[in-house]
Amino acid sequence: MRHMMKDDPTTTVGSTVNGLARLFSQPRSRLYCILPPHMLESIAQNGTPQQRSRALQTLAIDHTLRALRVAPSSAAPATRRRPGMLMLAEGQKRRTISDARHDQNLPGSVVRAEGAPPTGDPAVDEAFDGLGATYDLFWDAYDRNSIDDEGMPMDATVHFGQDYNNAFWNGERMVFGDGDGELFNRFTISIDVMGHELTHGVTEDEAQLVYFFQPGALNESMSDVFGSLVKQYMLKQRADQADWLIGVGLFTAKVNGVALRSMKAPGTAYDDPVLGKDPQPAHMITLSIPSGTTAAYTLIQASPIMPSTLLPHGWADTLGRRRAVSGTRCCAIRD
Amino acid sequence: MRITFTMEGGIAYFPGLSRPVTIDSSELLKQEASELERLVEAARFFDQPATTGPPARGAADYYQYTITVEVRGRQHTVRVTDLVEDAGLQVLLRYLRAKAKALRAAARTPPSPEHPDKPE
Ligand SMILES: [Zn+2]
Repeated sequence: MRHMMKDDPTTTVGSTVNGLARLFSQPRSRLYCILPPHMLESIAQNGTPQQRSRALQTLAIDHTLRALRVAPSSAAPATRRRPGMLMLAEGQKRRTISDARHDQNLPGSVVRAEGAPPTGDPAVDEAFDGLGATYDLFWDAYDRNSIDDEGMPMDATVHFGQDYNNAFWNGERMVFGDGDGELFNRFTISIDVMGHELTHGVTEDEAQLVYFFQPGALNESMSDVFGSLVKQYMLKQRADQADWLIGVGLFTAKVNGVALRSMKAPGTAYDDPVLGKDPQPAHMITLSIPSGTTAAYTLIQASPIMPSTLLPHGWADTLGRRRAVSGTRCCAIRD
Repeated sequence: MRITFTMEGGIAYFPGLSRPVTIDSSELLKQEASELERLVEAARFFDQPATTGPPARGAADYYQYTITVEVRGRQHTVRVTDLVEDAGLQVLLRYLRAKAKALRAAARTPPSPEHPDKPE
C-alpha cells in the first residue's frame, strides 16, 4: 500500500506539480521540473500578459516549491573533480547494455558488457556501438571522458516496454523501445538519437538546465546538435555535408516522413495522416508570439533550429564546434 | 466506463500522437470491456495518487501520461511517466498504449488522397 503522509515532500511536490500543470497547461509541457523563482520572476517581468499572470500566480501560491526545489546539482560546489592526466590518457569506454525484455522495469538484465563480442541482437549491438560512437566524439574532439568527464560508465537498456515508441534518458541510463512496427522501428536504429540521449546526461552534468520552457528547449537543442555531431563524426562528414536530421530510419515505410526533426529545413521532417505535420518553426524570431497557450510549446520546439542558423559561421570541423555551441547558448539567452 | 488517455513528451512532439484518446467501454466488445474494468480495478486506480512525483533529476524525453477514468459517477485522474513503478499501472498503460495505437492506425485507412502510392 502506498501511504500518503501530509508532510511527505513527494506528495507536496506532486500537488505543486499539479498546480503547475493547470497553470501551464501546454501541448508539450514538462510538468515535473521545478521552475526556479528567478525564472518565474523573469517571466513575470518580461512575458506576455498571459504568461505574466500565470507566473505571478505561481509565484504567489507556490512557496513550497522554492523550499523543495531539488537542488543537489545547483547547490554543488563550482569546483569539479577533474581526472588527472593518467585517467584522461586512458579514455576507456565502460559500456553495459541491458535487456528489459519488453517489461518497463529498469535496468533489466545485462546482455553485453565492455569487451564482449556482438550478440547478434541488432538493438543490443546498435546500442553498444552508439554508446561507443558518442564516447568517441566527446573524447576525441573535446577530451571529455564520458558523460561526466570522469569516466562514468555508459549504460543503456533496450527492448523497453511493448511497442514502445520512444527513447529517453532516465537521469542515469539511455532507454530504448522497439517501436510499434506501425509508425516506428527500433529506436537504436538511429545513431543521432543515441547521441541525443547521452547528451542529456552531459548537459545535466554541465548545466543542470531546468527541463521546462527555454532551458528545456536549450537542453533539447544541445542534444540534437551533439546527436547529429556523433553521426557526422562517425561518417567523417563536414557540417556542410551533413543532413542535420534527427532520427533517420526511425519511421516505418508506412509513414510519410524522413526523420523526427530537421535542423537544416525545420518543419519539413514529416507530414503524415497519423503523426500530423512537423510543427518545427524555423527561427527564434518567430517565437515572439504575443499571446496564446502554445507559447511554451513553440519555444521548446523552436530551439533546436538555432544551430542551423550558425552553420555558416564555422561548424566546419569538429574542433570548432565547441565555440559554435557557446554561440548558440548566447543566442538563446539573448532571444 | 470512460477513459481519457493523453501522452505528452517523448523524444519528439507529434501533433497526431498528442491528441487525447477516449475509450468508452460501452463501445467495446463485452469481453474487452470487462477486461478493461479488471485492469482498472487491479491497478487500484481510484486509490492511486494524482501524480507519482518528479522523475530523477536530469531525466529527459520520457513520456508523461494522463489517465482519467470515469465510472458510475466517480472520476479520477492520474499522471504518470514511463518511469512509473506500480505494476498495475504499468499493465493499464500497456493496454491504453495498444488501444491508442489501434485507434490511430484507423486514421491511415482509407489512404489519404494527398499521399497516393508512389509511382514505380
Ligand atoms: Zn531530448
